[in-house]
Amino acid sequence: VSGDGDGQSRWCLSQVKGAVDDDVAEADIISAVEFNHSGELLATGDRGGRIVIFQQEQESKNIPQCRAEYNVYSTFQSHEPEFDYLKSLEIEEKINKIRWLPQKNAAHFLLSTNDKTIKLWKISERDKRPEGYNLKEEDGRYRHPSSLTTLRVPVFQPMNLMVEASPRRVYANAHTYHINSISVNSDNETYLSADDLRINLWHLDFTDRSFNIVDIKPSNMEELTEVITASEFHPLQCNTFVYGSSKGTVRLCDMRASALCDQHSKLFEEPEDPSTRSFFSEIISSISDVKFSHSGRYMMTRDYLTLKIWDLHMESQPVETYQVHGFLRSKLCSLYENDCIFDKFECCWKGDDSEVMTGSYNNFFRMFNRDAQRDLTLEASWENCSPGYPLKTWRVCAGSRRKRNEIGVDCLDFSRKILYTSWHPQDNVVALATVNNLYIFQEKLNPEF
Amino acid sequence: MLGKGLKRKLEQEEENDLKKMDPHQEVMPTCYWLQRQTVLTLSLLKLHSRPAHSDPGLARRVLITNTLRHIQEELRVEAVLLPQSLPNAGSPSGAVDRERPASAKSPSHTENSLTPVSLLEEDRHLFLSLQSSVAIHTAPSVSKNCPSLSNIKDSFTSALAEIEDLCPAVGITTSLTCPSLSTESDTPSSLTMNQDVPDITCYSDTTAISNKFRHTEPVHESMESNMDSALFQFTPSLLDSAQSLFNHCPSLLADFSLDDFLFTEIDNILFDNTACSSSLSASSGSSKVVSMVRDDFVKTLTSGVSQAALPSSQTFKLDLNDLDHIMEVLVGS
Repeated sequence: VSGDGDGQSRWCLSQVKGAVDDDVAEADIISAVEFNHSGELLATGDRGGRIVIFQQEQESKNIPQCRAEYNVYSTFQSHEPEFDYLKSLEIEEKINKIRWLPQKNAAHFLLSTNDKTIKLWKISERDKRPEGYNLKEEDGRYRHPSSLTTLRVPVFQPMNLMVEASPRRVYANAHTYHINSISVNSDNETYLSADDLRINLWHLDFTDRSFNIVDIKPSNMEELTEVITASEFHPLQCNTFVYGSSKGTVRLCDMRASALCDQHSKLFEEPEDPSTRSFFSEIISSISDVKFSHSGRYMMTRDYLTLKIWDLHMESQPVETYQVHGFLRSKLCSLYENDCIFDKFECCWKGDDSEVMTGSYNNFFRMFNRDAQRDLTLEASWENCSPGYPLKTWRVCAGSRRKRNEIGVDCLDFSRKILYTSWHPQDNVVALATVNNLYIFQEKLNPEF
Repeated sequence: MLGKGLKRKLEQEEENDLKKMDPHQEVMPTCYWLQRQTVLTLSLLKLHSRPAHSDPGLARRVLITNTLRHIQEELRVEAVLLPQSLPNAGSPSGAVDRERPASAKSPSHTENSLTPVSLLEEDRHLFLSLQSSVAIHTAPSVSKNCPSLSNIKDSFTSALAEIEDLCPAVGITTSLTCPSLSTESDTPSSLTMNQDVPDITCYSDTTAISNKFRHTEPVHESMESNMDSALFQFTPSLLDSAQSLFNHCPSLLADFSLDDFLFTEIDNILFDNTACSSSLSASSGSSKVVSMVRDDFVKTLTSGVSQAALPSSQTFKLDLNDLDHIMEVLVGS
């Protein structure tokens, strides 16, 4: 079912960031997208280890139509490539995750991580500078005290806004395997980092120690059959976190129960449907992302073909299941061959938890309205949509297309995929990354044509 | 491949009741085994090659290994379920002439565990047949496979031309030996077979060939040798490309030394580097077995990795014990 009957949605393209040519350098490929808690800032990380922060347009942010205008605020190199000499392995500088800390003062803080190291960055503004020193000239040269005849008090003069990013903490050497998740706790003092086999708990102030809270590494690595794929703290209860696995299970743990949370408190797993069993059942059940709702009542999991909403009180099955691209079920072997079956899609909640969103192939992204039980398929393509104009909705059909807004399954471009998405915490603004670009869309309640 | 999802559901139910089947019914199970073979080959290749972004993620390897284990388990179960002798073990081979004498008498195969050549004609079912026959013979050490392999090659050398005369679709025959990736014309991978080969997607084509063979009784003997020669045709290039595989995957022969064990986390070596770390089994005779397995294994792999003209025709040579050894190597025993 496509959203609006006439094949058009209320979503409009607001902006596209990044190079518009098809030839994109590997380093420029975006690998993380995250709004901060107010929605004023939007951070992106790329494979080159850089972070680019966009800020909502200040002058027009009170104009409803222009709330989705973002400009570059700060750019800095977060991680550098490293080399592990002992294992002769390169450590990629690719940014895996960005998480903002809630704002406490004028500065903004975020955590960014690559495969091995997490860093705390402080982003602060400087728009004034002191002028009128007695012993220092404007150009920095020192004056000799004997040359002074009068004294003056230095004053702050406005200057061009300068945004500085400085690394305040580096949390290193705590992960043997690749870090896939970081999550800031609601206590705003601790955070967790998860790799394939372990989850560690950190205090933001201390970089020289972290506590292991989950360890699923078997004593004999030959017996390894399951890895951790995603993890997140509960948004309200600082003792609760969840982690998803490659076997399609999600475990909820309570840190009050024991120091090492290997024993889960709840296990969320949907029994497998035997009629759909295939060689790839396990691979497509692997959890690629897990996100709590803002309310803390629900949890959303993304696996290769579906989005599932779980009530934290019910472990036996999800309360809602949405097919993201079920038409791929018959193509799993080809997707296994070209490695697309291992793509890890993220998902996100709307601010009021009434809708959820995730990406797909062919630069499509899917939105599901939980209340109205409607879903949309939209395309992120600056070539096919004009900024400000409503996007048309798409349908994927099995055979050849019959209508204008249809596309056949075999025509999908699997090299164009949307893995990273983020929803503005308050507004109907979404940001998502295609391979080449960052797209920002806004839903207009009264679209103008 | 893309259209086979629906058939696969039916096949799975059929396969559970697998006994003797008439040719017509075998359309479905064939496709299932075909796909299983494909998945098996793909999985092995994936474990041995680096993904595009040089990120040998543990999660990915675990998922592929689990898929392999699942297939291995299935094959093991099937081998147990098919305890009969070779012709019967070829029961999935449906339409092929079962009156053909079981070539257990074939001198080249008396003492070893390999499937008699007559069953090797059942290209699609080679793998399964091989499994069952191996289970029957309770295959001895892997090392015996090597001489038998070469025996096969020798006997295959003899009458390739004959097989070509017999069957206009000798291309079909060869494609049948390479079930993995050749049946999809739209498979984007470089592992696709050469395009001259008629596209076989279903067992019905095999039926045509088999019928042809059935009518030419005297050919039976030469059929074996024909198959031998067909296989032998593949092997030289395989041997050539085996070397390229070694070069292609340098981590296969990772320069492990005692220092690596002393100073690094062993489990990282086992899992962070390529699965096939042969030097880890450096102790005693087991290394010989492992390296032999690896040689065969490598040939199997190279058949997929190398040029399109040489699909994974040799994969059927993997018998159950080989697979066991391979699994051990992969998980770093």
